Amino acid sequence: MNNQEKLFQAFASALNIELNQVSPELTYNTIAEWDSTAHMILIAEIEGVFDVMLDTDDIIDMSSVAKAQEILTRYEVQF
Amino acid sequence: MMRNQLSGYGVNMLPIEKPHLELLRQWRNSDFVREQMVSGEIIDEQQQLNWFQNISERQDQQHFIIQYRADYIGAANLKSCDGKPVTEAITLEPGIYIGDERYRSNILAFAPSLVLLDYCFDYLKVNQVTAKVKSQNSAALSYNGKLGYAEVDKDREYTIIALERERYIQSTGTLKNLLSRQRK
Repeated sequence: MNNQEKLFQAFASALNIELNQVSPELTYNTIAEWDSTAHMILIAEIEGVFDVMLDTDDIIDMSSVAKAQEILTRYEVQF
Repeated sequence: MMRNQLSGYGVNMLPIEKPHLELLRQWRNSDFVREQMVSGEIIDEQQQLNWFQNISERQDQQHFIIQYRADYIGAANLKSCDGKPVTEAITLEPGIYIGDERYRSNILAFAPSLVLLDYCFDYLKVNQVTAKVKSQNSAALSYNGKLGYAEVDKDREYTIIALERERYIQSTGTLKNLLSRQRK
């Protein structure tokens, strides 16, 4: 599994949605499943999968799948 | 009356001053904010100025503009429920809106509530905070539910919700940890 697949799987798992619902355009609060509680679970999931510790600004900025990928790149995760 | 700013979770809450008024009025007149308000009327400049002069003299209310990084993003207030000064009230009613639409659907929208509620429970030592939310406003009810608020009364138009300190602490630990991490 490459890192993009891992990221999509992390979203599907944390938000409890089907993998085919995850796309780069998926955005916070645009589906019922991605609310603030799910966002906290998502952060924990992403940190576990990629072995990173996100800072608060990145947690705030992580408002879409595409943005998550962009942020993780700064933590030396390669896509 | 001189009031101090509140800070935490990445945001600053500055006491409202005259230079903030026009931005606040623009937010207040936006459809998004008016839909949440008990009175949805459009506010003109003179009404806004009158409001500012009124709140500046009142002890039973405190009003803040919310700052994130270099931007103002919304407004918040605290009102005493028993007519006493905010600093002596037993129950307070906090109010918040995010005027900057970039941050409405963002976890950052919780930060000003956390600052305000910490201030209420830890500094002002109130027993309870309460809020009156339009019953149709499911987003606001859900948002407040995440902070630990529970429904105490409801009719077709409004839902009254309340929050006590212990419940607030239990409900917000993870959220606070995420918004309190190291910053760039």
